Amino acid sequence: MGPLPVAHSVAEIEGQLGTLWAHAAVARADAAKAEAVLMAAQAEAAARAAAALAAARDTSDIGGHHVAARTSVLNLVVVAGDEPAARHCAETIAATAGHHPSRSLILSEVDERGPAGLEARVEALSLSLAPDDGRPETGAETISVTAHGETGRHLASIIVPLLVHDLPVALWWPSDPPFGSHRSERLLPLADLLIVDGSSWSGDGLDRLAQLAALAGERRMVVADWALLRQARWREALASVYDPPDLRPHLGAVRRIQVEYSAAEPGDSSGQTNVVRPLSHVAWLASRLGMTVVEPIQRNDDGSRTATLRQADHAVEVVLSPGQSKLGAGSTIRVEITSQLRGAVVVGSVAAGDRTVEVSIQHNGRERVRRSFAAPRLTEVELLGRAIEGSSPDPVAVDALAMGLALLRSPSGGVR
Amino acid sequence: MAAQKEGGASGSRANRIAATGRAAATPPARTAKQYREAAASRHRAKPDSDPNPLRQGLRLERVPDPGAFVLFGATGDLAHRKVIPAIYQLWRTNLLPAEFSLVAVARRPYTNESFAAEIRTSLEKYSRVQPIDEASWSELAKRIVYQQLDFGDDAGFDRLCQKLDELDTTCGTNGNRLFYLATQPSQVTEIVRQIGRVGLDHETRGGGWRRVVIEKPFGRDFESARHLNHEVSKVLRESQVYRIDHYLGKETVRNLLVFRFGNGIFEPVWNRSFIDHVQITVAESLGVESRGAFYEETGASRDILQNHLLQLMTLVAMEPPTSFHADALRDEKVQVLRAISTPNLESVRSNVIRGQYGSGWVEGEPTAGYRQEPEVDPESETETYVAGFFSIDDWRWSGVPFYLRAGKRLPKRATEIAIQFKDVPLRLFRESSGDPAPNVLAMRIQPDEGIMLRFAAKVPGLGLDVRTVNMDFAYDTSFVVDSPDAYETLILDALLGDASLFTRADEVEAAWSVVTPIIDAWADMPAPDFPNYASGSWGPEAADELLERDGRRWRRI
Repeated sequence: MGPLPVAHSVAEIEGQLGTLWAHAAVARADAAKAEAVLMAAQAEAAARAAAALAAARDTSDIGGHHVAARTSVLNLVVVAGDEPAARHCAETIAATAGHHPSRSLILSEVDERGPAGLEARVEALSLSLAPDDGRPETGAETISVTAHGETGRHLASIIVPLLVHDLPVALWWPSDPPFGSHRSERLLPLADLLIVDGSSWSGDGLDRLAQLAALAGERRMVVADWALLRQARWREALASVYDPPDLRPHLGAVRRIQVEYSAAEPGDSSGQTNVVRPLSHVAWLASRLGMTVVEPIQRNDDGSRTATLRQADHAVEVVLSPGQSKLGAGSTIRVEITSQLRGAVVVGSVAAGDRTVEVSIQHNGRERVRRSFAAPRLTEVELLGRAIEGSSPDPVAVDALAMGLALLRSPSGGVR
Repeated sequence: MAAQKEGGASGSRANRIAATGRAAATPPARTAKQYREAAASRHRAKPDSDPNPLRQGLRLERVPDPGAFVLFGATGDLAHRKVIPAIYQLWRTNLLPAEFSLVAVARRPYTNESFAAEIRTSLEKYSRVQPIDEASWSELAKRIVYQQLDFGDDAGFDRLCQKLDELDTTCGTNGNRLFYLATQPSQVTEIVRQIGRVGLDHETRGGGWRRVVIEKPFGRDFESARHLNHEVSKVLRESQVYRIDHYLGKETVRNLLVFRFGNGIFEPVWNRSFIDHVQITVAESLGVESRGAFYEETGASRDILQNHLLQLMTLVAMEPPTSFHADALRDEKVQVLRAISTPNLESVRSNVIRGQYGSGWVEGEPTAGYRQEPEVDPESETETYVAGFFSIDDWRWSGVPFYLRAGKRLPKRATEIAIQFKDVPLRLFRESSGDPAPNVLAMRIQPDEGIMLRFAAKVPGLGLDVRTVNMDFAYDTSFVVDSPDAYETLILDALLGDASLFTRADEVEAAWSVVTPIIDAWADMPAPDFPNYASGSWGPEAADELLERDGRRWRRI
């Protein structure tokens, strides 16, 4: 079966989905017949029967593979923006689909002022668990929709009829989600899970982060922010600093949290480096360690950002300081926590590379531990997979997001 | 002749194994002291009662305390293939504390450096993650201490004691020690005695737990197991003993508990009212490889039936525990083992089949018969295959046959538990061209871990054809995360003080009380005409007949 023609309506998309899977079923039956031959064959004829099976598989048309089951565990709706972004998302989904077969709807827009209409392509993804071992495969489907003109402003009307009923809906908004806009108001209620990447947002990202945090709080929406997911290895490392029982009490005596991040320009002079990741470190630590915000985050003349927190009866100084590194702008270079308890000063410091994380502990100025361990940076495929797996509210993420909002509120109560 | 189905037989033959010999095999009642110890172990304080708030939501909400991992038999095959790679993997992924030391103990002469170099070579061969991470390895290598020691040498153990005390100061191991006995079974008693003699078993209030991990086999029959337990108990409290069977650390075995007790829909049908029978298969395509001498002494009944097969059976059949704590779980498993009808000579003759492989073809390769394997007696009567019919005499399972089989040189490597449900009471779809097969719930443990449910569905079309279809869940299609190796799981659990997946003394003895009568009965009767199955086949014909007489057959795996 050759490529399916471009569809121009939801009805045509549904028709093509039917055609696609009916064809796969025929291929499946052919393969099953050949397998029966194989089982009946005597040992000396096994090679001949295997060849017959292989030939039958060649007649199936989803990538020449034997598709045993059409599978979906969720609806994954992607608001990709433009067509290059849509292609990139489609590649990521294809790589994730083996673990999370889903009906994927990838939406992009062109020619905002042109005539209304849509073009859609329906594809089946053949998901091989172990290529070439002859095991049955599962299949999932991707529907790529390009909306033209006015149609682009009514994406919900395309999405709703194409959702597989009874399955959760994950809404992946890889670019800048326009929170508060007409579009987001129509799309967000469709979703059980919102997937975003705060570290890719334009500018410093903090306005959008505040909007997201407020939205998550008001609507109790489950949010998976890649910015926070990326920090799992940092959190493990920071937690390990305080695993030794004698250092545990220092978690209640934190005096300073400093996060150094990679600035887009020296000193982050324009303030346009995305600082969602550095701020998320602080928000997570503050929320886990029972801190409250005394002075929200503010930008200083030297490019740094500072805030003051309170833990029990003492103040905690927070500093986000721009630095220079080969890492991408906004990436964390180092997180350092200074605590002081009964005259002992402990500085726990974590830095990360592509594949490893390094932890060091200074106790009264002397190095107590320096340790490197394997913790590779997560790829986009892994991030999408983890976001999908986290479809129920993660209390740690919820608390961190709420603390992020508190850190961004102005003294008058408004957000930044 | 009517076509045979997998289901359809009545459960009336389920009690075929007569309940005789129970009194002789039942472990003695616990003494008041043992009860007190058991109660104390249930209520003992957690090793670390002050949780780290930063760990909430992370992979582990608690990590092991600082401590020394003392590995006896450190130069042996098990240590190099399994234990040390597991420690390296735990170390490189930051699951062990910085205040950690690996104290390798064995007879051969090494320095710390030369032993570390040998480990490094082994890791390149056996670590599941390659290449070896240099930074992680160099940190771990600094923490490796080699101690040459003959296990009968009192002075050597005195030196070991001193070394461990030194490490408490230099490495911050804080008095915590895990002794891992990766040695020959015959050396276990001596090592434990020496540990007791030098006081390494003594736990202290201010930190300083002491645990001993003992590798299977735990004895070679009921009496020897009881003797071993007795010797160990002279030195250690039961709560300090971790009997390791790596099978229980496998992800899917652990998931069996989650599957049964984390899903509400299965428990109501998990009983004699709905289940026709249960089949448990542990099939290996390999032969005895280089373990001919070992296998001559064990055979399939000791190697697989006494532990793996019976463990899987207990997990399938156990009552819901009141909690997931070690003793609550193990109490329920022991109840199942004690409810298994004890075999006698007659029931063994009719219900337990033994086999030995001859030459044949496996996976396209010609293979030698067992008697032609290295270190094997050319007239050996050791069984490489065992299949049996067992019943559990309790309200839940009475009348439900459990068919267990394990063998070497079978056509493929596969471990599976299959729950076959009873047939529908009335066939409504008489015009259908074929009868739908009864429902089956199959849990694949290896390879391709997953769960399959077989049910009937209508074939699309004008008629009313009913076909059997499978709904298949494969682990690797739902979870991105790699499953850890069983040894990693179990070593981490032992370091954390969680004994849920380790075998308790009474559990070991109860399992032997099922298997020992079989071994004894075989000793009293002539062996079958070995070899009685060809390599690459599914075992002796008698094993098929075992089910055929009940109108059932083994599942095609």
